[in-house]
Amino acid sequence: MAELKIDNVYKSFGEEHILKGISLDVTDGEFIILVGPSGCGKSTLLNCIAGLEDVTTGDILLGDTNVTYEAPKDRDIAMVFQSYALYPNMNVRKNIAFGLEIRKMPKAEIAEEVARVAKLLQIEPLLDRKPSQLSGGQRQRVAMGRALARRPKIYLFDEPLSNLDAKLRVEMRTEMKKLHQRLGTTIVYVTHDQIEAMTLADRIAVMKGGIVQQFGTPQEVYDDPANMFVAGFMGSPSMNFLRCEVTKQEKDYAVQIESQGTIFQLPVDPKQADLSSYVGKTVVLGIRPEQITHVMPHLVAEQYITQVPVKIEVTEPTGADTLVLARINDQECECRVHPQEAGKVGESMELLFNMSKAVFFDEQTEARL
Amino acid sequence: MSVSRKKGIDYWLPKLVVSPTLVIALVFFYGFVLWTTFISFTNSSFLPSYDLVGFDQYVRLFMNPRWLNAMWNLVVFGVLFIGICMVVGLVMAILLDQNIRAEGAIRTIYLYPMALSFIVTGTVWKWLLNPTVGIEKFVISLGWDSFIFDWIIDPDMAIYTVVIAGVWQASGFVMAIFLAGLRGIDTSIIKAAQLDGANLFAVYTRIIIPSMRPVFFSAFIMLAHIAIKSFDLVIALTGGGPGNSTDVPAIFMYQFSFQRGQLGIGAASAVIMLMTVLAILVPYLYSELRTPKNG
Amino acid sequence: MAKSKNPSYANINGRAVLYAVLIIVAAYYLLPLILMIVTSFRSMDEIRMGQLIEWPKTFSFDAWTMAWSEVQIGAREERGLRPYFINSILMVIPSVAISTILGALNGYVLSFWKFRGSELFFAALLIGCFLPFQAILLPQSQLLGWLGLSGSLVGLILTHVVYGVSFTTLFFRNYYVNLPHELVKAAKLDGAGFWVIFFRIILPLSAPILVVTVIWQFTQIWNDFLFGVVFSDPSTQPVTVGLNNMVNSSTGEKQYNVDMAGAIIAALPTIVVYVVAGKYFVRGLTAGSVKG
Repeated sequence: MAELKIDNVYKSFGEEHILKGISLDVTDGEFIILVGPSGCGKSTLLNCIAGLEDVTTGDILLGDTNVTYEAPKDRDIAMVFQSYALYPNMNVRKNIAFGLEIRKMPKAEIAEEVARVAKLLQIEPLLDRKPSQLSGGQRQRVAMGRALARRPKIYLFDEPLSNLDAKLRVEMRTEMKKLHQRLGTTIVYVTHDQIEAMTLADRIAVMKGGIVQQFGTPQEVYDDPANMFVAGFMGSPSMNFLRCEVTKQEKDYAVQIESQGTIFQLPVDPKQADLSSYVGKTVVLGIRPEQITHVMPHLVAEQYITQVPVKIEVTEPTGADTLVLARINDQECECRVHPQEAGKVGESMELLFNMSKAVFFDEQTEARL
Repeated sequence: MSVSRKKGIDYWLPKLVVSPTLVIALVFFYGFVLWTTFISFTNSSFLPSYDLVGFDQYVRLFMNPRWLNAMWNLVVFGVLFIGICMVVGLVMAILLDQNIRAEGAIRTIYLYPMALSFIVTGTVWKWLLNPTVGIEKFVISLGWDSFIFDWIIDPDMAIYTVVIAGVWQASGFVMAIFLAGLRGIDTSIIKAAQLDGANLFAVYTRIIIPSMRPVFFSAFIMLAHIAIKSFDLVIALTGGGPGNSTDVPAIFMYQFSFQRGQLGIGAASAVIMLMTVLAILVPYLYSELRTPKNG
Repeated sequence: MAKSKNPSYANINGRAVLYAVLIIVAAYYLLPLILMIVTSFRSMDEIRMGQLIEWPKTFSFDAWTMAWSEVQIGAREERGLRPYFINSILMVIPSVAISTILGALNGYVLSFWKFRGSELFFAALLIGCFLPFQAILLPQSQLLGWLGLSGSLVGLILTHVVYGVSFTTLFFRNYYVNLPHELVKAAKLDGAGFWVIFFRIILPLSAPILVVTVIWQFTQIWNDFLFGVVFSDPSTQPVTVGLNNMVNSSTGEKQYNVDMAGAIIAALPTIVVYVVAGKYFVRGLTAGSVKG
């Protein structure tokens, strides 16, 4: 187990710049997730950590060893691939043992390791089968077993759950979390699914265009996004972005919204942003659907809560709640209400806007204010 | 702590492994072609000489009526061979595409000639086409006394016998390629056309055949290549005769280089053959590389 | 599989005509083969008195023994096609083996161990698939003479390997390109090096393309005539050259039955391979073509 340090790594393929100065520190035993849209460079970064790609400039340190120019096999790293990459011509036992055989581990020890890993992942009955005889979930576990048997310093996962169907994916997610809690290994994990990132990670690195947009705990990334991209990427359904004008109200600031012809002022919590230089200008208000709810009497009088009537354009019942699409400032706004409180399409209903967690962005730079 | 890029064995080994083949390509392909071209500009006869004589050999070549005849034969043979093979292949492929029972068996029968050596093909067809013992005699014996089929000994017609034998050998192969191409067409396009009211004929002529362009090109290239190289077939079937009437460039080159001790002209003829192949290949490759492929 | 079904072809008349045409064409392809076989079992007396194209009245193996070990071919002391047949075998087996191994290694490197210039190398290698061999006959014979290999089996084998490696590399490379690359990545991480990955992971997965390549090379090399006639001397000539000499040496009357028997002997190995493994043969033929 060791820490991993990525120091100002750049990676280009000819004229194409994929990674533009990535710096990350991972502490021992941490579960780090690299998340972002396709093309953001997360898989490339993972390959660089593994040594399957060379970095153009920058360093990668494992523990206190600079492994930037070491071959993959010398880095003491194990990787689980999206397609599992199990050797088709070997059975499960040999698949797991392969790496150990290469390292010339004595046969007896290899057998012990295989048994240990098989027990851990509950794949003992599968040991003599070939990969073609396994289901998707079983293959995934064998792939993990292969990685575990090596007892490396770091585990790398490249979208390991993407090939599973939705239900299995949720099950395996929990398994993976339990495994990490049990073994305490350092993990770097790549996914495009932000829910996976939120549920599994100790810290998340949100990437876009080859740059780490934000590196923080799931809650930090969720509540305190560094820019509009991170805010919009994390969370489902995604954050609402409303362009509103900043107004000054006696001692405080507010943003102005219009609904069904009437103007409302939503108060801005100074702890969330200082909008003093933006009076009269337009900013982007970021407010999550769960902050816009049906009217709950005990909340009405709270400091940063405003009641606004809206016209319902679309309703999407999800079972647990209903998402209501309303039109604010002539923009679409998604709100989350209790299924029984939701009105019908075309009707008007009262909503509470909770501004205590609202965030603000500059309209041009998309930076957080 | 190493700061320089470690070039382990896995960096050198792949290059080492392909290096013999690289040497092969450089020497035996490019080097040899250059050598042959060089020789074509010398006055080599029995043995290579290195005295340059400019384009003399080429002039001699193109003033040689036998060479001109050989080139003409190649054109005649090439056009007919390629044309007939493509048509027969296409028609047979379309017919086979109609959900035939025993399709596998029929395909096997059509294709087996390609497994034979051209020498074997030439030998068999030589006797079949021999008027005194083959088809002509057979048909006469059936009662049609005035049947004549003596092309193979007729200097004006002999080249067409080469076409017959060549088509027999290669058309099954063309059919196999076209069948694979037909099968690769997206059925939904055909269904859309049928919904639009197109009948079977229209579907074939307006949709299927146009979308087989790449397959046509491939088949054309391969047939052209076989035609230009044709040596075995002619040797076995007619020996280049009667006289020189079925002479082809490949035979000319062989005889002048290895039997008549005229390396200079032989080399020149080889260079011309190479140019012909390139003249067909290069535009094809160019168009392949220019058009964006799917995916 | 794309099949266009149209009601107008489902009717009986249409189908009947279709099958008729197919059968006639099949007959056209089969007749020469049947003729060869039939003629080889007849005696010359029969042929002289009757027709070339006729069902045998008596079956005799005379033509076969003549063709195999008795007929005089050219000025050779040894009789029959047997020595030529043996030469072919001695020539084909090493040629196929070496060119296939080289092709597999090249394909392996070009798919999984690419380096700068490797694609250019591949393109440059492909020229070997299109080269008209007339362009290299002269220098090759010079080289073989210089190496002391003129007219030798080794020289023939060298020639076939050199001019076959383009095809074999093409086949393997196109096949390997479609294998999941993550397998090799996983193996590298497991600590496996170049050779271990090749022998323990890639090669076991190569059975289909190995078969295709071996069949293709076997057929091409066995059936070759040009190299056989240019680069061999009488003691090393392959069976194709032997057959041609036998058929074209006109000493006395043409022995059609012997010629046919000889043709079958020359053709037998490739026909057997075709019948037994024809599926793979077709795959080999169409491998480079539909993609171009």
